[in-house]
Amino acid sequence: MKKIIERALRRGAARAEVFYLNSLQTEVSYEAGRLKELANTEETGVALRLVKDGKLGFATTTKLTDLDRLVDDALATALCGDYIEFDFAVAGDLPDSRFFDKAIAELSVDEMMKHSEAGIARLLDYEKSIQAESGTSRNMQTIQVLNSDGVDAEFERTQYQFYVHGRLVEGTNMLDAGAYSGGTALDVDFDGLYKNAVDEFKRARTNVDLATGKTTVILTPRAVADIMLTLNFGVSGAYVEQGISPLVGKLGERIFDERITIRDDGLRSGGYRSAPFDDEGVPMQTTTLVESGVLRSYLTDLRTARKLNHADTGNGLKAKRLIGAKELGKAPAPEITNWVMEGGEKSHEELLSEIGSGVLVDSIMGLLMSNLIAGEFGGNLAYGLKIEDGKTTGRVKDAMISGNIYKLFRKNLVALSKDVELTGLLGGIGTHWYPYVVLRNVTIATKS
Amino acid sequence: MKSRIEQVMKKFADKCDYLEVHFEETEESCIGFNGPRLSDLGRRVDFGGNVRALHRGGWGFASFNSVDRLEEFAQYAVDQARTVGKEVSRLAETEPVVADVPVKLRSDPRNVSLEKKVEILRAYNKRALGFGDGVTSTVVTYFDRFHKFWFGSSEGSLVYQERVDIGGRVSPVAARDGDTQSYNVGFGGSDDFGVVKGLEAEIDEACAVALGKLDAPKIKGGEYTVILDPRLAGVFVHEAFGHLSEGDNVYEDENLQKVMKLGRRFGGSFLNVYDTGLDRGLRGHLVYDDEGVATEKTYLIREGELVGRLHSRETAGKMGEKPTGNARCLDYRFPPIPRMRNTCIAQGEATFDEMIAGIDYGVYCISASGGQTNGEMFTFTAANARMIRDGKLAEQVRDVTLTGNVFTTLENIDLIANDLAAHDGGGGCGKAGQFPLPVTHGSPHVRIRNVVIGGE
Repeated sequence: MKKIIERALRRGAARAEVFYLNSLQTEVSYEAGRLKELANTEETGVALRLVKDGKLGFATTTKLTDLDRLVDDALATALCGDYIEFDFAVAGDLPDSRFFDKAIAELSVDEMMKHSEAGIARLLDYEKSIQAESGTSRNMQTIQVLNSDGVDAEFERTQYQFYVHGRLVEGTNMLDAGAYSGGTALDVDFDGLYKNAVDEFKRARTNVDLATGKTTVILTPRAVADIMLTLNFGVSGAYVEQGISPLVGKLGERIFDERITIRDDGLRSGGYRSAPFDDEGVPMQTTTLVESGVLRSYLTDLRTARKLNHADTGNGLKAKRLIGAKELGKAPAPEITNWVMEGGEKSHEELLSEIGSGVLVDSIMGLLMSNLIAGEFGGNLAYGLKIEDGKTTGRVKDAMISGNIYKLFRKNLVALSKDVELTGLLGGIGTHWYPYVVLRNVTIATKS
Repeated sequence: MKSRIEQVMKKFADKCDYLEVHFEETEESCIGFNGPRLSDLGRRVDFGGNVRALHRGGWGFASFNSVDRLEEFAQYAVDQARTVGKEVSRLAETEPVVADVPVKLRSDPRNVSLEKKVEILRAYNKRALGFGDGVTSTVVTYFDRFHKFWFGSSEGSLVYQERVDIGGRVSPVAARDGDTQSYNVGFGGSDDFGVVKGLEAEIDEACAVALGKLDAPKIKGGEYTVILDPRLAGVFVHEAFGHLSEGDNVYEDENLQKVMKLGRRFGGSFLNVYDTGLDRGLRGHLVYDDEGVATEKTYLIREGELVGRLHSRETAGKMGEKPTGNARCLDYRFPPIPRMRNTCIAQGEATFDEMIAGIDYGVYCISASGGQTNGEMFTFTAANARMIRDGKLAEQVRDVTLTGNVFTTLENIDLIANDLAAHDGGGGCGKAGQFPLPVTHGSPHVRIRNVVIGGE
């Protein structure tokens, strides 16, 4: 990798930075209750950023036999690029957190099969006509960042992901339910996950009517994670700099109810996106975004930190927007790591039992089409349950929920649960930790 | 590459029921503006491949960038297929294909300099930013990709294909008092750099729509009669019916097969839906799919009845139906699965005037911000909308997200217009982690009764 930097400098670049990624992922997948496929994905690639005549150039390749082309491409883009508005990272101390778990590295295909098979067996025990699918994967990554200013850093990381999911079709009624876990440490209560998947089915077997109107809702951690996509955009240094985040100029101001505290924790033990440094070589950290309802920080990369005169929070990541998977071809930009929201006083069971009538919301379909930047969220209740007298009574279908977090999380918060649970975004991406959240006066539109 | 495929076949083909090898080399240029800033400018070379083996119904798959280790990965795929397979392999039969398919371009993006491309996009960006106070920012994206594919199978197929994919969008963003509204001008195609040109009028209109949305009231939630414009109706048919027609949703699920039985009635006799790979120039155009099966025009609904679905060789084989050339993968990192190409509601006979005349209180839903389905239910979002009152277009409204149920909503279509148009945006379709796959959709104006729209 050093040779690429040397070559770039020889060809007239003033500065250069190389990002190297090597990963090997192994996945077992089950379809219709049966083992379907074993897959191995080997990925190796390099991204190069360089500065020539004050302008930024960027190119990537997975063809490591032609690195001259990489340098040529980066130089060609620098010709018509904009003037660079930041410096590459400087060498310094990095956190000594490690995200390499031997248990994941040594996880055998047989063991992966066992986890998936046990999950499927539990679903089929409950109802044999469920179409059950499951996947267990392990990923080993080596990431390196080098630059001409002396950064030369490398880490290895292990990641696992597990899901079990089922679809039950009865007549023209379809019910989807399941469970997900992921992370960099194999510290999983598989049994608990299987139970959750079965419980999701049990609670939604009958469909019940709901009238259009405003109601109390209890959002599951999974629903909170999805709705927090709004804040993911709102605190992004890129959207703040562009002036389209509603949080522009609001640092130090109260934006939410004072019971709400949220952190972006790039060093969280077991966190799927945890790492000692980001994809620009800047140390990752734990950043308090909202403290007792007050906005404390945005998330930045090298460029937006400079532009906003803000601390660099180490969130310069090459990540596919929303999905967050490393995408070599993307330039680093402010992206979330693992989010953690503090919980409240009572368990979610207690909170649910205190709701006279309302709706439990677990999964919202079409959320991504909402005007998320403005804080708005909405969509079809893919998995929602009616609550009467503190108990769930059945599934609500053909219903649309909508709201705005900057209003609801400020004025309509009833309570947060004491239990804070791991959940993925969009049903299974990354790791975030959220409580159940109870909100009053949320609009749900239905057929009736 | 072809000789490497032949070497693998020689060594491994007799060790499993079926074996295929893919190689892919992609060159990409991309450009992006966020507000006045050129936020994205890059070139990408992506080169890799995969080996996929089938044995007794089980698949082994290995993808890689280290092409020099090809045999090692082939061995892995074969071994894993043998571990997985415990039943019978069933692939629908197709004639092996030996072909070279170079792309025929009307205008090759590779012949346009990066400077020129930046200049075109920069001019659009300036135009939007200069539209007037209120349009405070923009999101502009552009990409062009030139793909070379090599595919070979143990049945003797050996295909070299080139494909081009061009796309992007220009989105003016209007912001005021913490509120942000935008509107998209999307573009895309598979054989012509010209799709990027001449967007000025559309951009001006998009600026006006985005500004209008700042003042427009939110729609009131409830049930409405709606007219979908061709762009939104295209997204509607993609979400409402296209996905459920994909063979892998159905082929293992006996309960679903009962309700998705060929011949089932889904709509009026004037409803026809098809998916085609034949339309040259569209992003959903294909010659051979990623299993080497020739593409075609596949009717899904004819005169209101279910008549077909979208298959890979495996889903077709297991269901005893004909492969349709719909097996597609995002890139070499993924195995091919049944995906759409260009999905359309076919031409009808009504006119827009007839449609609107019969509506006392309803919504005209214009263009799409996207859609999603979970099989039975789906949602799709109009990028712009106007109320219909007493048979006439009335005030602009915003935040119009529609939802429906595949088993009832198609039946509620009561008029289809005679103005079919296919449209390519710069986005794509996502399924099973494979996003964004280039697809097209099209439709005439469509009127639907009793559609639930979210809102306060």
